[in-house]
Amino acid sequence: MNGLPQPGLAALVLLPLAGCGLCWVLRAPKRILAVTWLASLLSALAAAPAVWACLHGRALQEAQGWLALDALSAFHLAVMYCVFILSSAYAQIYFNGGLSSGELSLAQIRQFASLWLGSLAALTLTLISNNLGMMWVGMEATTLLTAFLIIVRRSPDALEAMWKYLLICSVGIAFAFIGTLLVAASAKGLVQDPGQLLHWSRLMAAASGLNPKLLKAGFLFVLVGYGTKAGLAPMHSWLPDAHSQAPAPVSAIFSGCMLNAGLYCILRYGALCHALPQLADWSAGLLRLLGLLSISVAAVFILFQNDGKRLLAYSSVEHLGIIALGMGLGTPGIFAALFHTLNHALGKSVGFFCMGRLGQIYGTNDLRRLAGAARREPIWGNGLLLSLLAILGAAPSAVFLSEFLILKAAVEAHRAGVVAVFLAGTCIIFISASRRAIATAWGEPASPARLPGPRAGLAATLLVALPLALLFCLGVWMPGPFRGALERCAAVLNGSR
Amino acid sequence: MNAWSELILILVILTNLLLVGGNRLTGLIRFAAVQGLLAGLLPLLAHSQALTARLVFLAALAVALKGVAFPLLLGRALREADIRREVEPFVGSEFSIFVGISLLAFSFWLSEWLGIAQAGWLRLMLPVGFFTMMTGLFLIISRHKALTQVLGYLVMENGIFLLGVALVGEVPFIVELGVLLDAFVAVFVMGIAIHHINREFNHMDVHLMARLKE
Repeated sequence: MNGLPQPGLAALVLLPLAGCGLCWVLRAPKRILAVTWLASLLSALAAAPAVWACLHGRALQEAQGWLALDALSAFHLAVMYCVFILSSAYAQIYFNGGLSSGELSLAQIRQFASLWLGSLAALTLTLISNNLGMMWVGMEATTLLTAFLIIVRRSPDALEAMWKYLLICSVGIAFAFIGTLLVAASAKGLVQDPGQLLHWSRLMAAASGLNPKLLKAGFLFVLVGYGTKAGLAPMHSWLPDAHSQAPAPVSAIFSGCMLNAGLYCILRYGALCHALPQLADWSAGLLRLLGLLSISVAAVFILFQNDGKRLLAYSSVEHLGIIALGMGLGTPGIFAALFHTLNHALGKSVGFFCMGRLGQIYGTNDLRRLAGAARREPIWGNGLLLSLLAILGAAPSAVFLSEFLILKAAVEAHRAGVVAVFLAGTCIIFISASRRAIATAWGEPASPARLPGPRAGLAATLLVALPLALLFCLGVWMPGPFRGALERCAAVLNGSR
Repeated sequence: MNAWSELILILVILTNLLLVGGNRLTGLIRFAAVQGLLAGLLPLLAHSQALTARLVFLAALAVALKGVAFPLLLGRALREADIRREVEPFVGSEFSIFVGISLLAFSFWLSEWLGIAQAGWLRLMLPVGFFTMMTGLFLIISRHKALTQVLGYLVMENGIFLLGVALVGEVPFIVELGVLLDAFVAVFVMGIAIHHINREFNHMDVHLMARLKE
């Protein structure tokens, strides 16, 4: 559109789909897994110029405004690609054992790879849609595709988790659609061309004329609907089961991309409410409420959690709650919440990587039985400890910084209640989870490991070390351009480009 | 034309009450099929202006999916699962009917509160849409079997379809198409899931699937 030397936005959806097709042609499982990584990398490279331009303040529109990219979606797209590239690389390591022992068949790997790339395409569609209806279609497709990723290894537990996920999220998504319809009804007569009725940029431009009552009802439905996908309490009940039963790379994209995409959809509607003076406070208040509720619920369940993957899953509920809370605290809060989105995605991915491998090696996710993991498996054991400390907000990590900024925003807004609940929740979680993490990494071994397992190679070391290094660097020093990009994202939500 | 659409809407209310009170699975699938058929026909009557090719195509697709394809899929799942045909609700059918009637009243109140003054019989469409959607939700929450839950999801989708016609009328074509296809895939996916569940557990009683909890 603006004469940039870059492939069209539609290509970003088509590229993973092409990779999907390739998976059905290839016959070697290892190659198929390699395709998932290559396709993720290529999509990221194809998106890079557009993402870069948008993070520097440009806005692209294509296909009569159906597809668009602004700073906010570009930022989420960038986070998503980071997580996908890391997780696809990790999938090669994770499935290696199952492949060589013959536990995983070619069909299963094909199923995994094509669904994986299909989810990438659907998530991309969600993020680059300017049309709220199209965004919904992307989100629904994500739900249906990822449901089968949970049961790559079929077991009664995985099936139970999948059914809960499928049903709860389908109902949630249906609610989101009702919300979309109500918002469309609130804009009746404002947008001349009925084909563009649901274009977000059009709605934003005409926001002051929206029917407040219908918009209010619409936002409620959207909040419950997409909030289910984002794993916000009290709609989070599918999340721990799905996260704990899915293969570890899938858990990583659940926490690192899908939950964020759900929240991203809510933010688009939140911006519409924000543009109406009589709804701005109300919608921000709801976000804060759900955020605090999620933090509290997570704190209660983490207190007694011995299953490593479930612990990480509840921690995702906590962090999505923190992000939602930040989003309800005005511009400084939004800035910090976006920063937190990146930090949580990186840290949580590494957490699932390490937990997944340890679970495979020890044959259990019970943290008590993993005691002494760091001595036996230095990379994965120490990785788990460091990533847990990082996402819990131990001092030099970027999570500490972003949580501190959110706290600061709450203090500046004179919200004592928010500060109290936030501090109490994060402290409880910090103490109970870090105690377990340290015991797991350095405690006395309780039982011998099941298989000796191949030694973690260079690739594994990099996968664990690089994101963690980035997290700890960002916590100490935030580069100017990065700060500028985050500020521009926050500006999109305030309605001022 | 008005009389016809009013009749259809009243029939939709009736199917909802039958769905809530019914206790034979085959019967429930039939009610849902009739409801889907009725819902699919409504857009043709909802617009007083001339019938466009687009409108006819969408209505035909909706009728084919909601009235024919979904019930067939569910019927097949039912035969394959070879389960007892009773619904076995968590709550009795008298109580269910009572809940149904309360939901109907609530839907009328909600539509009044939203305060969109619609001309004539469109006033009826919004509450019926809400009622159908909430009936579906109630079926999902209150029934034991995975199959009944899918049925509830279908009813919910019917309700959303009606809401779409009542609230917006002209949703962009591609979105409407996407929604219909999504519902189709969702039901299809749920059918496959039921197949797996049935094979793995030898039943599809959701309340017996309770291994994953704190």
